[in-house]
Amino acid sequence: MLSIRNLHATINGTPILKGINLEINPGEVHAVMGPNGAGKSTLASILAGRDDYEVTAGEVIYQGQNLLDLEPEERAWAGLFLSFQYPVEIPGVKNIYLLKAAVNAIREHRNLPELKAAEFLKLVREKLKVMQMDEAFLHRNVNEGFSGGEKKRNEILQMQLLEPTLALLDETDSGLDVDALRIVGEGINRMRSPERSVLLVTHYQRLLDTVKPDFVHVLADGQIKLSGDFTLAQRLEKEGYEGIEAA
Amino acid sequence: MSGFDTLLTEQSSDLARDALAAGLPSSKVESWKYVPTRALNRTQWIEATPRTATEFSLTGGRFVAVPDALRAKDATLSAVESARLDHLYRAQGFALTHGALAHDCLVLEVGRGQQQTVTLKRLANQAAEAGFATLVIRVGAGAQLMVLETFEDSQAMESNLDSLCILWMLERDANATHIRYQAANERAHLFTSIDVQTRDNAHFTLQSIDFGGKLARTDIQVTLGGRGARTELHGLAVTNGSQYHDTHLAVDHAVGDTQSAMAFRTMVDGKGEATFNGRVLIQKDAQRSATEQSVANLLLSDTGRINPKPELEIYADDVTASHGCTVGNLNQTELFYLRSRGLSETDAKAFLQYAFAEKIVDEITDAGIREQVELRLLGELKHGELIAELKESVDV
Repeated sequence: MLSIRNLHATINGTPILKGINLEINPGEVHAVMGPNGAGKSTLASILAGRDDYEVTAGEVIYQGQNLLDLEPEERAWAGLFLSFQYPVEIPGVKNIYLLKAAVNAIREHRNLPELKAAEFLKLVREKLKVMQMDEAFLHRNVNEGFSGGEKKRNEILQMQLLEPTLALLDETDSGLDVDALRIVGEGINRMRSPERSVLLVTHYQRLLDTVKPDFVHVLADGQIKLSGDFTLAQRLEKEGYEGIEAA
Repeated sequence: MSGFDTLLTEQSSDLARDALAAGLPSSKVESWKYVPTRALNRTQWIEATPRTATEFSLTGGRFVAVPDALRAKDATLSAVESARLDHLYRAQGFALTHGALAHDCLVLEVGRGQQQTVTLKRLANQAAEAGFATLVIRVGAGAQLMVLETFEDSQAMESNLDSLCILWMLERDANATHIRYQAANERAHLFTSIDVQTRDNAHFTLQSIDFGGKLARTDIQVTLGGRGARTELHGLAVTNGSQYHDTHLAVDHAVGDTQSAMAFRTMVDGKGEATFNGRVLIQKDAQRSATEQSVANLLLSDTGRINPKPELEIYADDVTASHGCTVGNLNQTELFYLRSRGLSETDAKAFLQYAFAEKIVDEITDAGIREQVELRLLGELKHGELIAELKESVDV
């Protein structure tokens, strides 16, 4: 589904990614872990199409297409979804406007009929229930005045509605209390399917207790230093990144 | 040679003589620096002919269908009113010409404790016609008045001009709201001067929306002259094509315990140009006064121009004052967020422009005008119909 080959990227001339290689097959959940400043969020942002970064070498193939050639919205239409580490507040835009516009934009590109208001509301109410969110969220401005946990739940709500093929979750666990972590984790688990892949970027193991990854990668200094199964995350928790890197 | 010379030579007043001598202000005059006055001089303006109307209107420099309930019993200007108008006419560039050429001076009045709402429609003048009129509005002690100022949205091929000077006189505890929705034809040259005098605890609210016109200059002056007097001034200008919109604001905290709050937003696209000048003066004895001003400008094209200038002059020491002024394009992070959810770049931009303007539009207290402004706004935005559909389908 996704092949990242020798990806190098800089920000303002400073190298951040220094040759990333990663293969993700349909149905797999991969966790990329690593210390602060390792390049985890940069990787997620580049995949989603943020243009603050310059890709200096390498390529990313997603379902046979060169992902880096696509505009952010084209990536979304192709089934990519990024859950932001810091979801953006958009004063003046109601959450429900964004949700409905996004759902129908993506349906249009999947050759599905537009969801009418009643069908959309039925769908969104169902997903709100899963995320244990109040309907009032729909009529508030996008992320404005939301707590950290509410913002992250709102991201996963969007993911549930947009049904991506590849979900990139950037530090979705940060800023969550225990209950929110469980709701978000279960929200992600509900989305797991043989056709859908997940790339989870995280600093801590705690989300991985709920969302058990098939593969864990350690990203440090712009490169994947080590890959393994779920037990690697447990080792990291015990020994820390320094212990693993030294080994 | 000013475009008003023909009209001015027909008058014999001192004002006409002085206006003729002064001509229109050039770009050397600070408050007229950006106004394309040369374009005004390309037309030799002629006297406008009023049209008939069944609703209260301003046409060809005359007020027609004036509601009887609001007509002042004694329309003689008081010494204070006369002095203030004279001061206004002599204070700034175009006002001298206005003062010399004003056909009509109407006095409206809402008596003590009464409540009224009135709509004044400014009708378009014909080709090369210029109309000038002055309106004095007295709001008695404890009285309430809401004035809705609307514009005829007609097709015009030739330049036309309409100038209106409004003097608001607010007695103690009076509450006045002035809502303007300017959607005039694209060849209209509009001058509006709003001067507000307030006594103790009077409250003046202005909501001013500019979409139309070729050139629209609005001067707003509020003198907070009584203890406890307060004012809220909000404005939005959506400037496109080769339009020029200009708002000059001056709030004078003349006495203590007075409050002012201002929020103005401007959105410029194409070759449009917009000027905003917001001056707040807190005089030496105006202790315990408070003022806040927020000015935000969105510049959407490389060919547009925005000239914002907030000014704060404080001579008292016990005051609360805040102001902020921003100029920029759409926020790239917000744009990316929306696009990453599958919205096309044009749709995402429409969302953000809409959100920017909504901050002001949402505050419009008259539901009818708010709805008209919303529709116009969505019509101005590329892909605004997407938002219109969303509002239609999911708003409850």
